[in-house]
Amino acid sequence: MKNFKINHREVRSYDVLELSGELDAHTASQLENSLKKLIDNEKHHIIVNCEDLDYIASAGLGVFMAYIEDVRSLGGDIKLTNMNPKVYNVFDLLGFPTLYDILEEESDAVEKFDNNESK
Amino acid sequence: MSSSSFENDERQSRFEIKTLLETSRMLIESQDMDFVLNNLLLITMGKLMVSKGMILIYQPATDNYEVSKSKGRGCPTEGKTLSFNWDQEVKEQSVIRCGIDDFEMPEVIEGDTHCTFFNLQTSNNHIGFLCLGSKGNNTSLSEREIEFIESLSIISSVAIANSRMFTELRRINRMLDRKVYELNTLFDLSKDFNIMVDREEIVRIFKFAMLGQMLIRKFFFVLENEGERKMVARSGIEGSLSSEETDKLFALEDDLVEVDQELTEEIPFLKTNEIKAVIGLQFQSEQIALVGVGARANEEEYSSSDYNFLRSLGNLAVLSIQKTFLLEERIEKERIEEELNIAKSIQQGLLPDPIPSSDKLEIAAKNISSYQVGGDYFDILKVPSGELLFAIGDVTGKGIPAALLMANLQAMLHVLLPIDISLSKASAQINDIIHQNTPSNKFITFFWGIFNPDNREFRFVNAGHNPPIWLKKGKEESEELQEGGLILGAMPTMAPYEEQTIQLSEKDVLVFYTDGVTEAMNEDETEEFGEERLLNCIKENRFQSAAEIQEGIIEEVERFSHDVQYDDITLIVLKVS
Repeated sequence: MKNFKINHREVRSYDVLELSGELDAHTASQLENSLKKLIDNEKHHIIVNCEDLDYIASAGLGVFMAYIEDVRSLGGDIKLTNMNPKVYNVFDLLGFPTLYDILEEESDAVEKFDNNESK
Repeated sequence: MSSSSFENDERQSRFEIKTLLETSRMLIESQDMDFVLNNLLLITMGKLMVSKGMILIYQPATDNYEVSKSKGRGCPTEGKTLSFNWDQEVKEQSVIRCGIDDFEMPEVIEGDTHCTFFNLQTSNNHIGFLCLGSKGNNTSLSEREIEFIESLSIISSVAIANSRMFTELRRINRMLDRKVYELNTLFDLSKDFNIMVDREEIVRIFKFAMLGQMLIRKFFFVLENEGERKMVARSGIEGSLSSEETDKLFALEDDLVEVDQELTEEIPFLKTNEIKAVIGLQFQSEQIALVGVGARANEEEYSSSDYNFLRSLGNLAVLSIQKTFLLEERIEKERIEEELNIAKSIQQGLLPDPIPSSDKLEIAAKNISSYQVGGDYFDILKVPSGELLFAIGDVTGKGIPAALLMANLQAMLHVLLPIDISLSKASAQINDIIHQNTPSNKFITFFWGIFNPDNREFRFVNAGHNPPIWLKKGKEESEELQEGGLILGAMPTMAPYEEQTIQLSEKDVLVFYTDGVTEAMNEDETEEFGEERLLNCIKENRFQSAAEIQEGIIEEVERFSHDVQYDDITLIVLKVS
């Protein structure tokens, strides 16, 4: 499956998903499962670290679209961090920056969660 | 003119040229319109020592001016719009000097009646005005100053036009990037879908691609399969569509419908879920699916090109889903064929092999099945007493049901064989069992007999089968072996099956056959092979061996039917040695 991997770790009470490889039609459901699992466990402060993400297809973006409302309605957020320029360009092209909190560094996201800031 | 004032003039000229040069470089190199405008205003204000100034940008759509930059007291605030009742000629005038030029000007800067408007224009485009108030010492601008600002305005106009063009190019470029990305998405998904056989996965990916590509939050997808229209995917949707509502959506005439009030009144589901548009999807020019989409989350409206994309993506998904159905059908068909082949080999295994031999009797037997599995049956067995049992039967129908029944009959026969029981009683028992175990429209025509090699007696029971032909040595007339009883399985045994015994002699020929022989059709399908042809064929070959007689008959049938076989053919030829 095109070496897509999700690593889950916790930073204090926040959940960080580290994505690496290519997030495309085949791997989108892996991300979906991970997000679902967090939401089912009432974890709503989610940081998606994209540092090692090489590629994202629209199906991958769709997964974020499908779950952002749920998370926000529960008082949390999905914050995206550490994107490489190529991946950011795709997000930007489709207009994601107006809807999502896209941050330079994971620590920025932690800080924003600490200060209870949302997009 | 004194030499010092000349020097002064020259110095000023040099300064002005230098300013022009530097400004023009700075402005032209900048692609930021805001930067250009701000600098133009500040440079001119500083240079002329004017404390009030504005930049007005012309809005062609509304034919008025927006205050883009505004500095100094009494100037209208930025963002305000102003309209002037000017003739076209005024707009083309390079400089307008209020209070000096010969027409009425509104007082755009409060308390200032001597504003000067410098036209910002390129050869084909009126951009707006640089508007300067009076000088601090309340003198009007000198010719020289006006000339200088005019030059600066021209340079700035070019810079503004450039930056506008650049902005436009950037916008177009971005649009192109998005188009390229859309095409890539379609291309990638067509590849991805192609290798997917799991329908649910295709539907899921389709959903996410829609959501991600268009920033959609509310989405539903209805698919028709085997006459049933079902919502197979949804996101952010509450409630469900009734089947009447679904049918209404399918009945919409256009394959793209932007939801309006009339439609939401008919189908409130669309309103509660804020569905913006319903797009019909087709497979082989038949609408078999539709998607509904809510507003885009970035609040952009759907363009026709967006709709086109959604439709292309949808049609691609539907095509891939249909492909999986076809694939399943095909696999199912192959599986059935495979099973039929297995059934056929099992059935072939039920026929006697090798065929028992006897020194009192030449035996030739053959079964040629037309379909993969058929209902014909024959058997030749050595009974414990040393006698030979011959059986031939034809189950109604074809295929698996016929083959099952035939296998059943074969099993009964083999179980009954070692038991010392008369053909008559055994026939009655078989009939009852078949009658009990099968639907009444399933039955078997069956003939069986036992040859005693010691006295050449042949006793038999015929249960509704084509009567075997007995051609006695030297006789032209044949006899038919009719005696017996009812066809097997049609009704319970009421009257006993009659058992008949005949005395065979040397060179007598017995032929057992199924209706595949006599009902073989000629090429035009107008005539059956018939019993007469069969009988003639037996007579022609009566001096040959049993195998040769059998071959002769089969060849004759094949010639008659031009090798087109509609039914199973089973043939047993016995010749008394």
